[in-house]
Amino acid sequence: MFKKPTLTTTLIIIVGFLTLCPVIMLLLGSFSKDFVSFGQFTLSKYIEAYTDPDFADILWNTVVFTCGSAILATLLALFLAYVNTRTDLPFKFIFKIISIIPMMIPHILFSVSWALLLNPSNGILNKLFMNLFELKSAVFNIYSLPGMVLVEGLLDLPIAYLIIAPAMSAFDVSLEESSKVCGASNLRTLFKVTLPVLRPAILASAILVVVRSLASFAVPSVIGMPGRIYVLSTHIYRNISSGFAADFGKAAAIGMSALAASITLIYIYRYLTSESGKFVTISSRGFKPTLIKLKKAKYPVFVIVGLLSFVLILLPVLVLFYTSMLPYSMPPSSRAFAMMSWQNWVEVLADPISLLSLKNSLFLGVVGATLGTILSIFVSYVIVKIRSTASGILESLSFLSFSFPGIVIGVGFMWFFVRTPLYGTITALLIGYIATYLPYGIRPISSAFVQIHSHLEESSRVCGASPFYTLRRIVIPLLIPGMVSGWILMATMFLRELTLSVVLSRPGTEVLAVQILHFAEDGLWGKLSALGIIMIFISSSLVIAATVIGSKMTKMGVVEK
Amino acid sequence: MEIRIHGLTRNYYSEGKQIKALDNIDLTIPANKIFTLLGPSGCGKTTLLRCIVGLEVPDGGEIYIGDELVCSSEKKVFVAPESRGLGMVFQTYAIWPHMNVFDNVAYPLQTSKTTQDEIRKKVGKALSFVQLDGFENRPATKLSGGQQQRVALARALVAEPKVILFDEPLSNLDAKLREETRKELRSFLSELQITAVYVTHDRIEALALSDLIAVMRAGKIIEIGDPKKIYFHSDHKFVADFIGRANLIKGKVSEQQGDHAVFSSEIGSIVALNGQGIATGQDAMLCVRPEFIQLAPEQVTHGHNVFKGKMETLIFIGEAYEGEIRIGETLLTTTIEPTANIGEGDTISIAFDPDHCFLLSA
Repeated sequence: MFKKPTLTTTLIIIVGFLTLCPVIMLLLGSFSKDFVSFGQFTLSKYIEAYTDPDFADILWNTVVFTCGSAILATLLALFLAYVNTRTDLPFKFIFKIISIIPMMIPHILFSVSWALLLNPSNGILNKLFMNLFELKSAVFNIYSLPGMVLVEGLLDLPIAYLIIAPAMSAFDVSLEESSKVCGASNLRTLFKVTLPVLRPAILASAILVVVRSLASFAVPSVIGMPGRIYVLSTHIYRNISSGFAADFGKAAAIGMSALAASITLIYIYRYLTSESGKFVTISSRGFKPTLIKLKKAKYPVFVIVGLLSFVLILLPVLVLFYTSMLPYSMPPSSRAFAMMSWQNWVEVLADPISLLSLKNSLFLGVVGATLGTILSIFVSYVIVKIRSTASGILESLSFLSFSFPGIVIGVGFMWFFVRTPLYGTITALLIGYIATYLPYGIRPISSAFVQIHSHLEESSRVCGASPFYTLRRIVIPLLIPGMVSGWILMATMFLRELTLSVVLSRPGTEVLAVQILHFAEDGLWGKLSALGIIMIFISSSLVIAATVIGSKMTKMGVVEK
Repeated sequence: MEIRIHGLTRNYYSEGKQIKALDNIDLTIPANKIFTLLGPSGCGKTTLLRCIVGLEVPDGGEIYIGDELVCSSEKKVFVAPESRGLGMVFQTYAIWPHMNVFDNVAYPLQTSKTTQDEIRKKVGKALSFVQLDGFENRPATKLSGGQQQRVALARALVAEPKVILFDEPLSNLDAKLREETRKELRSFLSELQITAVYVTHDRIEALALSDLIAVMRAGKIIEIGDPKKIYFHSDHKFVADFIGRANLIKGKVSEQQGDHAVFSSEIGSIVALNGQGIATGQDAMLCVRPEFIQLAPEQVTHGHNVFKGKMETLIFIGEAYEGEIRIGETLLTTTIEPTANIGEGDTISIAFDPDHCFLLSA
């Protein structure tokens, strides 16, 4: 075993490298003259980036896009959380599905399915309406700012819900009851008591959505770029993807402002979530809130909730599957069904680059998540069980990358990898992935560690068990659920990773999401859909496999009889 | 089995300051007795228990369990907790949530080489002892607080340890269940004939359960005695005050009368027990418990230990009145039988029983 201080120091070095290296390289890169000759100090990249006449528009688009998505996602999440915790709506299991399943559908596929439905030239819904009402032009144009806000807002709805729902259910109902006793109606109580008390959670949710949409690349690239609407992330991408004219210095200079905004917002978010304890009162008396009887309003509310879950979960999969069977995009008709074939599937499975991307993504998902989980176990152990100044540093370090926009961090890593033999290898992607998504592994595992009260271990020792026996029969079985959810989170994130990969992926290291983006750019919707369905299938299989293995391993603590 | 402790010391460092959790403790815990460590929180009682069980390494001193030296910093001896052969019930019960009741209780046997048959027999016996027959396959998470407590006890007993240790095992139960479990625990332990070390901050628990009580404060043991000795004739003001409600009156010893002494105080002279033999002329403190301040018959207004006072407050609490009587500057708390015919503001006579008020050195 390591001596404890050495373990902490080793971890600080590893995690410190992973999180700080891209930031430092980004900073140095933004002041460098060009990609190869490093260190010649110049401000020219900043001047070039921020005096660009388009920059004001891009900034404005970014603000509208991020704030719009935050408002949409938070309002929907508030509505869902309120309906779930406070009304007698039937079929409440839907809420659990809404909050978990959409995480399995990669953002790029979700965006593509909306583009397929609502694009102005041959969007399925647009065509349907045009045929139905004999219109000359399309009704909707998804390639617009409102379109981007709609899709991003729906994508971030699960995250907003996961923040607001617990606050809503931990809310002390007597606060509301006393308002009603004072003569206020349900609606007045909602606006005068419930919402103000939940303010920290609402703000936290909105800020987190702003951070995520700032980092979002799927929606801006699939929906924004065809309509020539650029936000910061696509603007950075434009600067590095244009063949031999790639300007990594300018990209770094633009990235610095996105990074600064992101870190500031996450800082505010963490402040709000630590403050929120003061507001949201958790009553220890197990009073269940009296549910508001919806009566006749039950049906419209149920229709809204049902529609939302359809739009979030079923629709993207249906649209993709439908499109994957057709030679080109068209609305459902007898002609369309007559033309259906497996042609796209056959072509994708014969396409060497698609197969390579499949292999690479699977490798990154399984190996990356496993390495990430192992690292998370050690980091969580030090953070939770060894409480020292050094472990505090480690905690701050390990959560820093939570606020990093993937594409910006990708540019930072690019400045680093180009100077090492790792450039253009799958290992570069592996390191980048783990660095960016480490907090997703640490969070579930450290909360599993918190739950293992020291008495559980001590009591095993008193019962005559050696430290090793205690580890095998008590500690590890209790950690498994946390380890499994950490692994699942990381594996599904890695399998669909896009924002970091569009920068780091080179010929030979294509990954699924990047390949799908290329198909989208080339308008190969059929092949894209086939590959997308395969991607969803693989990520669901990984989740199921990990859950099964996890429940098998939990039983390890019980001696066979 | 007897436990002997010599010069046990344990220091903590917090914000640069040294805190003596255990300050050179010498203690002998006799075999087959229920021995309670009682004290306010932070007095070191749990640290002492954890040193005995081996979860805490003392900075100095020695611990013998029976004839075996289990811990000595001077002789560089430290027997790991798993090799000490003790049983312990934790404050949180520490029932492993991923196992059922059988596996929780069987665990201490599974760590040693015990056959499956033997394990099944012993677990069955332990569970029926704590009246949980038929609970073997119940998941640990599906147990009530009281049941968890019993599983923890069964697990501590199943390997037939030489000594069993309890770290505030009743503090997580609600008031009513606590009272019932206390009675059960008393009967379990007296049936077993085992050395039990029990840590608590609850004086009623300590009085009801123990053969011997050691009262601790700031890392030191102040006084050891059986419950009656501690309650009626404790040697220390802190102990007298901690173990029950007490009226403490300042004064001077003015005359010796055999076991008793005459004590002159601000309310008058009182005849009281002088167990510590405090010399005439010395400053002292009189301790009288509320239940021993009795209403004197109306006609008796003079004599030994009879005083006139005014009923300042009187609160009916069901089984009694709780009252405050003012005599000059002194305010005495008392309990009065619930049928007494008095009211607030009445002038009354009270009497102290000379055998139930005692002197403490100031």
